[in-house]
Amino acid sequence: MSVDPNARPQDRPSGGPNGQSPGGAARCAVPVLVGAAVAVVLGVYGRFHDPAGTAFNLAGFSSTGAVKSWLATAAFAFGLVQLLSATAMYGRLPGVRPAAWTPVLHRWSGRVAFLLAVPVAVHCLYALGYQTQSARAAWHSLLGCFFFGAFSAKMLLLRIERLPGWLLPAVGGLVFAALTVLWLTSALWFFRTFGVTT
Amino acid sequence: MKRAGPLITLFAGLLLGLFMLSLNATTGEPAPTSLDRSAVSPPASPTPPASPPASPAQPRVPAVRSPSPAPPRDAKYAGRTQDDRASVAITLRKGKAVAYYCDGRTQEAWLRGDVAADGSMRLKSKSGATLDGRVEADKVDGTVTVQNAGHPFTAARAAKPAGVYRATTEVRGTKVDGGWIVLQNGRQVGIVNRDGEPAAAPPIDPRTGAVTIDGEQVTARPVAP
Repeated sequence: MSVDPNARPQDRPSGGPNGQSPGGAARCAVPVLVGAAVAVVLGVYGRFHDPAGTAFNLAGFSSTGAVKSWLATAAFAFGLVQLLSATAMYGRLPGVRPAAWTPVLHRWSGRVAFLLAVPVAVHCLYALGYQTQSARAAWHSLLGCFFFGAFSAKMLLLRIERLPGWLLPAVGGLVFAALTVLWLTSALWFFRTFGVTT
Repeated sequence: MKRAGPLITLFAGLLLGLFMLSLNATTGEPAPTSLDRSAVSPPASPTPPASPPASPAQPRVPAVRSPSPAPPRDAKYAGRTQDDRASVAITLRKGKAVAYYCDGRTQEAWLRGDVAADGSMRLKSKSGATLDGRVEADKVDGTVTVQNAGHPFTAARAAKPAGVYRATTEVRGTKVDGGWIVLQNGRQVGIVNRDGEPAAAPPIDPRTGAVTIDGEQVTARPVAP
């Protein structure tokens, strides 16, 4: 991805609410608002639809919890690739010079991580819903919605030119941080509670 | 320059999510495995009317694990004992069964075991209670034996929100283990064990499983074998 870490912020005043060619803050506002809407919609769906309790399982796994834990673990592993490839692209990885394939690696590891996370989220929202009984469930619910909102915002921000240089790393960092906490509060908890089972 | 990649990624995720959701919606309730099997070999016992048409999700469901003759289809049953002192609920899944016997005051038992091809089952609890029963058409007839006393029961086919629910959690250092049976008519019984001490349980919201125990909100979940 041709991200220029030294891009300067755009400080022209907003050109209008329709997002045709408005200035800095307003141009970022649309993706951020869309991301926020995604997060809120997921949360509202999780809170107000009746958790089904069950959903289909994948062959070879003992429970949906195990399936989700492994999918989440795989997604988190690709998330780590994301972190490393992004740091490399921005030249912040000591001793590593970004190669031509680094952006490709970043894009595809991101896609894979996202697509691995989607079934997990669908199951969470469909079968379990938005829960607040325990701190673990509450943080997981909140950050789960936040993650997909932030990810949507990140994807949409990528399409906008001349962003403030710090913005993509900041949003990407938020996405990765959310994913980390999501993994800690779900898969790690599952493995510690039920054992590392498949 | 507008990059299409991120949008494609988002739409791919959205499509995948909707696809999974539709799989869930079509397979969530009466699990489809038994449909699968009854198509291959004739069912060993009279089966209830067929559920929604076969969905593309079937291949993703674990293949037959138990020995070949098809055990009764996956289903839930709930009912009262003959003396009307306790409820019994049974969940069948993939040839296994979990049952809960509960009088709503002091006596309860979680029973587990296999279901034979002819629909008969003998389930056992850790404390030595047993359930002998047999799936017949739309009901299970049987007897639960708890503390050497037999309790005959009939449990009819049940659908959400009827069934067995369980919640385990810790409330201020006390291990809490609750079980509930919701009957077809909405009536429910439940017992909460606090550090192994049974007592009548507060009612759950059968639609969400939400229940407040000792001031703490917990969620009771449907139990499956």
